[in-house]
Amino acid sequence: MLVDNKKVQELADNMAAEELTGRSLLQDARHRFFKNKMAVVSLMILVSIIIFAFVGPYFAKWSYEEIDWATMGNVAEMGRPSIESGHFFGTDDLGRDLYSRVIQGTQISLTVGFVGSLIAVFVGTLYGATAGYLGGTVDNIMMRTVDILMAIPYMFFLILLLVMFGRSISLIFVGIGLISWLDMSRIVRGQTLSLKNKEFIEAAVASGVAPFNIIRRHIVPNVMGIVVVYATLLVPGMIMTESFISFLGLGVQEPQTSWGALISSGAGRLQYGTYWQLFFPLFFFIATLLSFFFIGDGLRDALDPKDR
Amino acid sequence: MLNFIIRRLGLAIPSLLILIIISFVLMHSAPGGPFTSEKPLPPIVLANIEAKYGLDKPLPIQIANYVWGIVTDFDFGPSFRYKDRTVNDIIEVGFPVTIKYGFWSFLFAVTVGVFLGVVAALRHNTWADYTAVGIAIGGSVLPNFVMAPLLVLLFTVKLGWLPGGGWEGGQIQFLILPVIALSTSYLAGIARITRSSMLEVLHSNFIRTAKAKGLPSSYIIWRHALKPAMLPMLSYLGPAFVGMVTGSMIIDQYFSTGGIGLHFVNGALNRDYSTIMGITILVGTLTIVFNMLVDIMYAWIDPKIRY
Repeated sequence: MLVDNKKVQELADNMAAEELTGRSLLQDARHRFFKNKMAVVSLMILVSIIIFAFVGPYFAKWSYEEIDWATMGNVAEMGRPSIESGHFFGTDDLGRDLYSRVIQGTQISLTVGFVGSLIAVFVGTLYGATAGYLGGTVDNIMMRTVDILMAIPYMFFLILLLVMFGRSISLIFVGIGLISWLDMSRIVRGQTLSLKNKEFIEAAVASGVAPFNIIRRHIVPNVMGIVVVYATLLVPGMIMTESFISFLGLGVQEPQTSWGALISSGAGRLQYGTYWQLFFPLFFFIATLLSFFFIGDGLRDALDPKDR
Repeated sequence: MLNFIIRRLGLAIPSLLILIIISFVLMHSAPGGPFTSEKPLPPIVLANIEAKYGLDKPLPIQIANYVWGIVTDFDFGPSFRYKDRTVNDIIEVGFPVTIKYGFWSFLFAVTVGVFLGVVAALRHNTWADYTAVGIAIGGSVLPNFVMAPLLVLLFTVKLGWLPGGGWEGGQIQFLILPVIALSTSYLAGIARITRSSMLEVLHSNFIRTAKAKGLPSSYIIWRHALKPAMLPMLSYLGPAFVGMVTGSMIIDQYFSTGGIGLHFVNGALNRDYSTIMGITILVGTLTIVFNMLVDIMYAWIDPKIRY
């Protein structure tokens, strides 16, 4: 026996023990994320806003489309935020309960944000990974298409679409989804290019895995970190786009509402002193956007390999 | 360089064509033609009117005629909503207004943004840095449609210093609030990008060498650090331009400045197809050209960039 069996055994044990105490990449990232106080506070604020959007309706005394006739014509006095009248956030200029309307707006705005980035994640990741992995002419054509699409001022197009096919929230989803994946596909492509020459991809190619399966099983999981970070940073953009359109009165249809529509109607009545109509939607808008901003920042710091 | 410019043009021209074709096809497929009204016209009259405007021809020919009209005569055709106005009239009225406050907003965002970013980087981790970062983060969640009402609330309703709307030929007091509202979020973006790239440059080897040679720090900043630190900002200018052109819709509506955004939104609300299409194409063309110029400038400044 040339090799000392006992020693080999010991070495193997040591290695196993080391593996047990080591932390996975994900644990490491989680640890770093939770050390970032801003990100954790933002996460808590965001979660409470989401809970508010879905539990809040059970505490509402008025529905979002009901008009409180008692406040009619005297919103500045009767429509003030108060506990007794049941209008916790006051009423809007038509006498509808702002508390319920803010909840409704929060639901719609958050949904737009999440659906928009979900589309971006799916389409953008697949598109970018495919272009990057296949390379050559396919990559060239696919990425030039993205360049061309990105050069178009999409907001004008989105409004054009809304005018042509009638305003509806589902069309806003489609329109936002159509443009949201462009940036994502560029980022994923860049990542894929650096991944595709790694040994494990080579091993997969050598063992005869089909290109699409390589993309699905090996490339996509490896770019997920940056995709998640970028998706978090995309949500505020989606929310802003929707709010922008709704602010102009081209987005959600009455009696439904969103933050943009609420901010718009509050902003139009500043001279009457009904500031709460601007304050409450604006508060939720800014709180949510800031939260996403800090969460995205925290995630980036946690997942960024440069920092390690 | 010439090669690069040609390739960049090869990107811009398809963008323009796609822009025009998509908007034309969209307009064509919209329910109801320009001459459908509550009182239907006799079919013969309708056919005559359509023949006059060339609407009886096949779609590709219509598109070609439209593009030809724009290229040769800068003619965007008649407005579908206002019988006495052409799209050109609307653009002539609105465009100078938009250009005026847009120009000042752009200038304001770039100068103040760069200044904040550079100061923040030079005074890294001091109160000046924290203030600049605070402005940058705050500004990024204050889009124009949030800034506009907040500014009006403060400066018009509370303090009464500035008018809350109107244009009056663009006198300075009517210009201030729109310019600040439009530029804040881009100013923030420029400050953030400049700060981080400036920090990176200040920590690079050639700056250390310059310091080691004993050059005065103002000389190092002006002569060596500023140019490479500006590069990432340059690529942000394209999106900022798009954002400001888009933001003109909010500015025009909220401040009643009467720029091109107002006509676009009104056209959208009135279903004035030819107006919104004309404005979309005009704005799209400007955007594409601007992006191209930025890219060419970028390649000219930084020889490493080649596509």
